[in-house]
Parts: sequence; structure tokens; C-alpha cells
Amino acid sequence: VSRTSPRSAVRRRRTAGDGWAPIGFVAPLLLVFLGFYLWPAAQTIASSFFQWGLLRPWSPTDTDTWQFVGVDNYTTVLTDGSFWNAAVNTLIWLVLLPLLVGVFSLGLAILVWFLGRGSWVFRSIFVLPLTISLAAIGVIWGFVYNSDPDIGVFNAILRLVHLDGADLDLGWFSLHLGDWLSDLGHLSLGPLTINLTNLALVMPAFWAFTGFGVITFTAGLTSLPDDLIDSARIDGAGPWQTIRHVILPNLRGPMIVVLVQMVIFALRTFDIVYVMTGGGPAEDTMVLALLLWLQGFLFLDTPQAGEAAAIAVLLSLAMIVGAYPYLRRATRAESR
Amino acid sequence: MTGIRTTRRATVLLYLGATMLAIVWLVPVLSAFAISVLPLSRTRTGWWNSGPADLTFGNYARAWEEGLSSYVVNSFIITAGSVALSVLIGSAAAYAFSRLRFRFKEVAFFLLVTTMIVPVQIILIPLLPWFRTLGLTGDLTQYLGIVLVHVAFGAGWAIFMLGGFMSEVPEDILEAARIDGASHVGIYRSIMLPLALPGIASFALIDFVFVWNDLLLALTLLDRDHQPLTVGLANLQAPHLAQEDLVSAGSIMAILPPLLLFALLNRYYVRGLFAGGVKG
Repeated sequence: VSRTSPRSAVRRRRTAGDGWAPIGFVAPLLLVFLGFYLWPAAQTIASSFFQWGLLRPWSPTDTDTWQFVGVDNYTTVLTDGSFWNAAVNTLIWLVLLPLLVGVFSLGLAILVWFLGRGSWVFRSIFVLPLTISLAAIGVIWGFVYNSDPDIGVFNAILRLVHLDGADLDLGWFSLHLGDWLSDLGHLSLGPLTINLTNLALVMPAFWAFTGFGVITFTAGLTSLPDDLIDSARIDGAGPWQTIRHVILPNLRGPMIVVLVQMVIFALRTFDIVYVMTGGGPAEDTMVLALLLWLQGFLFLDTPQAGEAAAIAVLLSLAMIVGAYPYLRRATRAESR
Repeated sequence: MTGIRTTRRATVLLYLGATMLAIVWLVPVLSAFAISVLPLSRTRTGWWNSGPADLTFGNYARAWEEGLSSYVVNSFIITAGSVALSVLIGSAAAYAFSRLRFRFKEVAFFLLVTTMIVPVQIILIPLLPWFRTLGLTGDLTQYLGIVLVHVAFGAGWAIFMLGGFMSEVPEDILEAARIDGASHVGIYRSIMLPLALPGIASFALIDFVFVWNDLLLALTLLDRDHQPLTVGLANLQAPHLAQEDLVSAGSIMAILPPLLLFALLNRYYVRGLFAGGVKG
């Protein structure tokens, strides 16, 4: 929001920009960006049409390494059961994480905001997990889920209420309380089978990112004009009516931010799965980001880096298409 | 205080509910902390049954000696280098993007901001061969390599956040400096940087947490002698090894630096995330 005086506007229009000076300011960052983002990204896209592995990497300058396979990597990936299994698990993340974080942190932010005195203590506690690395979060939640009821809190509680080892099997739905990370159960929805162990992995992420939601919604709440709430009170509105008709409609912006950020995170989720289950047991909790990493860096003797690159391209495309309106808006706001 | 009417009883209930939620919220961290300060034998009989007499810091000492110390050093080198370089060249670029006009500005801005959305996996796979080509696999150059990738990937956040703070500086001040004959470098150094300092602090803090917490890049790009604490932790985490004592101590060590910064500079941290929240 710049307040340009008319004179400088005229001067700037005449010189069409600020000459060479801006180049000097942006060049260092742009060079790093070109060398370590755009160029590798271009290589990923190009190399997804070749067969290669990290033992004998594809190189844009060495035609000896070019084993062109066209779109084979893409067709291989898209007809691979492992890919669709990981895609379904990623979809579970994609639906659950924004939903859980969006709803819960909204309620939490409003609750804490109502408190007034001492609210910063509560807010700090709920924001705290946001500063913890997801690798450490995986480790910490590993303790919570520990199968030994003398170590894991969840299983200790189950033992306390005599639900340890409680098994439920209805065919289309099964639940094995206590086997949080090994086999929590499944839910069959027609052709789609949802492995409940994924829920146990979404929980730590939900715990971590609720803080982001609380901060974002609190920002929205504090920017509400005071007279808005005051006039609602003068009109005789109770707390519930104020929340429903005054507060919630004014939090649409923050809600979009939270949902978009959670979608972005859910699609790229790697750390928690890598640390807690490694995608297992079998491929029960495999997600796309981990699958492509394993294909690129673990199967060194069977050259699958091209397929990994193909998954990376598909993942990024999904992300760009999904978040494009958001990106557009951010860009416009800045260059105004 | 908010202007919403609540009865006294409702207020008490609200505090009660919030307190219970807060306690539940802290259970995962508390259990990791409890396990980290208890001998393994006590942990096996329920850490909640232990008393202050069982306290020990032996787990930390052993975790430190068994190799976590080098991970910690690596974490600090990588994080400090990335944050410093990001602030240095990111703030310069943010000045140009927020206050100057030049060709292809919008295209460049758009490309940079895509780093906020596109997953890091899009560059991951060819990066290792690319590092070999550039000679970024040596002892010290490995650090440089991952720092440059962190800077490239933080570029979007840098210009988005820092540019946001810099565009709040009133144009009149810049105009006055221009009339006095100040150069762009002069304006950047003596007006922009000081006035945007709180914003820069916010960015540095968030970037610190982000880089410190990275697992994927470090796991992929660095060899054993250069990996940070997150990778060390992931390596320690193997349930069948039954080393909860070491793992818990390591996890608390990994949590502490960002947490201390958060506690000390809470204001800047929240302000930075606010900026992202309100603008987005």
C-alpha cells in the first residue's frame, strides 16, 4: 500500500522502472533460486522421461546417460498398485488434517479469546508444538503410542478402563485398540479400504499444526473492530449468537489460510511417517512423498529414479492446480 | 478483555475446560520429558509411578557422548548459515520487490512464491548428482550446498514476509531521502533495514525453526558426519533397540533451541505468522 506522490509517479513513468539498481538487489537471491530450485526442478521434469538411477544418474549434458522412455515412467507409476495405495493414504491426510485443524483450532482460538486474562498462557501452550520438528514429534508420539502399557500413555489408559486388547471386527470395519502403529484396523467403503493406522499418524500432525490455526484465527479475531462486538451486545445478542452471526462470518479469510496451508502440508507429508512407521507395516501407511523418496534413494540397483521424478511431477502438479487461486491472490496483493 | 457478556459461572467453566485441554495438550511432551530424566528401569514400570528421587540426567550425558553432540553442532552450523544468508540476500531482494520497479518483476515474484506451495520433492531427486557436479560434496562444501538449497526454498517466504513488512514503511520517508540525494543502497541500509528490523527478526525466527526442523533435505543430501539432529533422532528411533532413554533425551534436545527462541521472542514469532495469516 504505497502512497506515491504524483511527482515521483511522473518521474518513474518517464524512466520506466528504476534502471539497473533493482537488478543488483535481486540478483543474489535470484541466482541462488535459479541454481538450486529452478534448474533442479527443470531436471526433475526432464529426467522423468528417462530411465535412470542414482548409481548412474541422468545428466542434462551427457547424452550417454540418456535412456529415453517417453511417458513410460508415468504409465508405470499410474498403473502401479503401490502408487494408488500411497495416493489413498495421502488422500486420508488431505481430508482429515485440514478438517481436524480447521475445526478444532477455530474453537480453541475462540475459547481462549473469550478468556481474556491469562489467555496468553493457554495460547502459548497450544502453539508450543508448532515449534517442534516433525521428526521429534514422531519420536515423542512414539512414546505415547508405545505398545507397552507401562510406557505408552494410551495403552495405560486402555488398561485402566479394561479395554486393552479390545478387538472389534465387523468385516467392513475392524478396530484393534492398542495396536496404534501396527494394525489399528480398517474401514471398507465400497472399493476403497481405509487403513486406520493412518489416523494414528495424522494425530501428531494435527497436534502440531493446531498451533498454526490458533495463531491465524487469533490474528483474525484481534483484527475484528471492537464496535462490531459492542453493537452485537447492545442489540442483546448472547455469546452464541455473537459467535455465529458476528465472529464466524468475519473469520472466512483466516479459515482459507488455515485450510490451504494444511492441504499443502498434507500433500508433502514425509517426516512423521518416515520416523514413526517408515510407511509400514507392509505399505499400510505409505504416502506419496515417502514412496517417491524410497524409489529414488533406496532402490539403487533397480533404476527407479525416473519413476520417482514422475511422482514428484504429479505431486507438484496437484499442488499447483489446487493452490493456484491462493497463489494468484498472494501475488496480486503484493504487486498492487 | 472482549466485549462479550458471559456469566460468572460460564467464565469458571471456560477456564476449567481450557485448563483441562491444556494439560491433555502437554501430555506428549511431558511423557517424553519424564522418560528422558528417568533411568530405563523406572521407565519400564510406568513413568507416572516415579518420584523426584528417581531423577537423573544420565540419559542426556550418554546421548551426548554417543554421538548426538556432533549432530547438534551440525544443526547449528546449517541453521545459522541458512538464516544468515536468507536474511542478507532475502532482505535486499525484498526491498527491490516491495519498493522498486523493474522488468519481469511480476514473473519473478510469482516464480519465487511458488516455493511456498510446491513440495521440496520436485528438486530432491537430481540434487545429489547436481551437488557432485558442482563439487558440493566435500567436508565443508556440504554445509554450503544444503544452506543454498534452504535459501532457495525459503526465497518465497523471504520476499513475501520481508516485502510485506517493507511495504509498510511510509513512502514519504523514502521520498525525502531521495530528494536529499540518497542512493538505493543508502535508502536500503539506513532506512529500510532499521525500520523493518522487527519484521526481519520475525522472519529470521521462523526461518530458524523451519531449517532447524528439516529432516528430508538433510537426510537426502548430507553424509553421516554432516547430518543434523533431526536425522540423528530418526536414526536413533528404532523400537526394537529398546533405547527409550537415549531417544527421549535426544528428542528433548532437539526441541529445546526452537522452544527457547519461541519463549524469549514469542512476540516476533507470532507477529511473523500473523503477517502470513492476514496477508494470505
